[in-house]
Amino acid sequence: MIELSGVDVHYGAKKVLDAISFEAKNGVFVGIIGPNGSGKTTLLKAISRVITPTGGIVRLDGQLLSAISSRELAQSIAVVAQDTGPGFDFTVSDVVMMGRYPHLSRFGKEHEEDYAICQNAMALTGITHLSDRSIHEISSGELQRVIIARALAQQPRHLLLDEATSHLDISHQVEILLTIKKLSEEIAVIGVFHDLNLASYFCDEIIVIKAGKIAATGSPVEVMTPAMLRSIFDLDAAVSIHPITGKPFVVPLPGSQVIPGNNLKVHVISGGGTGVEIIRALPRMGCRVTAGVLAMNDTDYAAAMKLGITCITEPPFSPITESSRVGLTAQIAAADVVVLTATPVGKGNLDNIRILAEATKTPVLFLSDDGRATLPDYTEGKATAFLNQMMTSQRLAVLPLNQLLDRCKSKEEKQP
Amino acid sequence: MDEIKKKPGYAALIVLAVLAAATVVICTGIGPTGIPFFGLSGNNTTSLILFDIRLPRVIAAMLVGAGLAAAGVVMQALFRNSMADPYLLGTSSGGALGASLAIVFLGGMFRSILAFVGCLAASFIVYGIAQKGGRVKVEQLLLTGIAVSMFFSAILSALMYAAGQDLHQILFWLMGGFWNISWDDVKLGIIILPASLALLLFSRELNIFSMGEDDAIHLGVNVERLKIILLAASSLITGIAVAIAGCIGFVGLITPHIMRLVVGPDHRFLIPASMLAGGILLALSDTVARTVGNEVPVGVVTAFLGAPFFIWLLKRRFST
Repeated sequence: MIELSGVDVHYGAKKVLDAISFEAKNGVFVGIIGPNGSGKTTLLKAISRVITPTGGIVRLDGQLLSAISSRELAQSIAVVAQDTGPGFDFTVSDVVMMGRYPHLSRFGKEHEEDYAICQNAMALTGITHLSDRSIHEISSGELQRVIIARALAQQPRHLLLDEATSHLDISHQVEILLTIKKLSEEIAVIGVFHDLNLASYFCDEIIVIKAGKIAATGSPVEVMTPAMLRSIFDLDAAVSIHPITGKPFVVPLPGSQVIPGNNLKVHVISGGGTGVEIIRALPRMGCRVTAGVLAMNDTDYAAAMKLGITCITEPPFSPITESSRVGLTAQIAAADVVVLTATPVGKGNLDNIRILAEATKTPVLFLSDDGRATLPDYTEGKATAFLNQMMTSQRLAVLPLNQLLDRCKSKEEKQP
Repeated sequence: MDEIKKKPGYAALIVLAVLAAATVVICTGIGPTGIPFFGLSGNNTTSLILFDIRLPRVIAAMLVGAGLAAAGVVMQALFRNSMADPYLLGTSSGGALGASLAIVFLGGMFRSILAFVGCLAASFIVYGIAQKGGRVKVEQLLLTGIAVSMFFSAILSALMYAAGQDLHQILFWLMGGFWNISWDDVKLGIIILPASLALLLFSRELNIFSMGEDDAIHLGVNVERLKIILLAASSLITGIAVAIAGCIGFVGLITPHIMRLVVGPDHRFLIPASMLAGGILLALSDTVARTVGNEVPVGVVTAFLGAPFFIWLLKRRFST
């Protein structure tokens, strides 16, 4: 078990880690994520005693880190660092055998057992075929596997990984992380990850670090949210629960152009996939977006959920209930502008249009690429009638996507 | 598996040991006074030349060569820099300054002692400047070594400028040589052996250290203690070598490179192999120095042979 309480690290006058406290128990795979320069590597260095904290306490299995001898420390904790200098041209098996150093006495020879442990470590990392090659002749991905094998040969009770699989191809990455995941059933593993999806797939617990402080901690589901990605990584991303892995899955949405100070409140009424684009685009411009009423099996609902957008919902194939009607009325009243898409309207969702038509104060932008205000109407003309009513009262503007987004750039231009 | 893999290392050590023994015999036998290998007469002059002049000189050259090579191996591993040599911590300039002071102000008395003191003083000064709170970064050490060397060299230059008729003696000392060797020097040189064997005890740590300092910490090496022990031992060795024979270049730089090609990078073999090879190289060079022409300083011979060889090594490395 690794325990940190109130650990500070300074580089000169600069505080790199600020009061870091957490526990990594045996049997738990802890992932550390955070932007570049947030202090992740420094944290691992403080735990492996490469640097000495300026404050706070680190304990390994209850023992003070500073009270452990170098050799005992290496028996207890193994590290796979980000980059290892190639040194002289030792063979792969020589380097893996270095992992046995903390277990050998100065005058002692390597025993059969040590060779067996190294063989096993090389087999687990898939480098047995390289064992007699010089480490100068192998690729950086292969070297990384050698260093992982060396760490395994230490037979540690704690394992620290600093982007340990960054140079590996995708299949080796998964294979080695699975091996480590299996190890983590018995030992404590802390891994720094840049790949958020690898972190959420393999880790039991995730610690988010920003500017030397713990910004969030919890299970991948708790931590991996669009809100966290935006506030910590400045990233617009969709997060969904992957249907096969059951873990949070992050997809970055490129082309972000947040307009500072744009607090325009937009409510989106859509459905059947007609609103996906606008639901994705509006938050990136800084708009505060709500959506609904949407059925929970609707494509637009899925998009809104991945983006962390508040949504008024109904169960699949159900009519809009009283509470949703009240909610929608309130949302429309609170919005600066409502975006309506050419969503198919049937008896089930006719209330969406009716309530919008009744809320006469809020301007409406109708998304249409051909400039015509029509929608697939399955209500014998009722929906079209509400639409025409809004047209004649001059509160509805028909706009293609790019012009509609231009309108949402600032509050001043909300009148159609 | 292990034993088979290590056989080339053991074989190379045995071959080198035989060559070293042969070198002692042959180099002692070669000289202006022809002495037949067999039928050695009881002649006093011959015996004097052989056992009181040539033999101590050959043995001293072997010891100094072995020491410089061992210190060179350690410096290259410690600094992870193949250009590192035993004089990296300013030892050569410190020793030269000490010896020159003895030549100019004491008429050559205590020259060896002052050279030794100068070497160790330079090492301590460099280490003292580079360390911070008992920890020392090797990059810092490297740069401090260069700076301190330059400072000592400046004083040395000033001293040489003012030396007048002693200049010749200083120059001769700077180039290094074994022309005045007695059994007393050999007795001093013997200390090189236990000090080098102490380095050998840290072979595994040196192997690991060459992977990087952080890696060494991760694998359980007490790196700060290791650095102090190794720097102290190699400074002692270098100091003794300089006190005996002045600043002989290239042996400590090149021998480790050649031996790495022969026995590989494992210091358990590299250190003894380099010691044997360094001894052989220097003893042969000194034999060339005293037989070709009239007592050419041995430093000239090692540089003359060593520099082209080193260029060849560099070319070879950059072409692959």
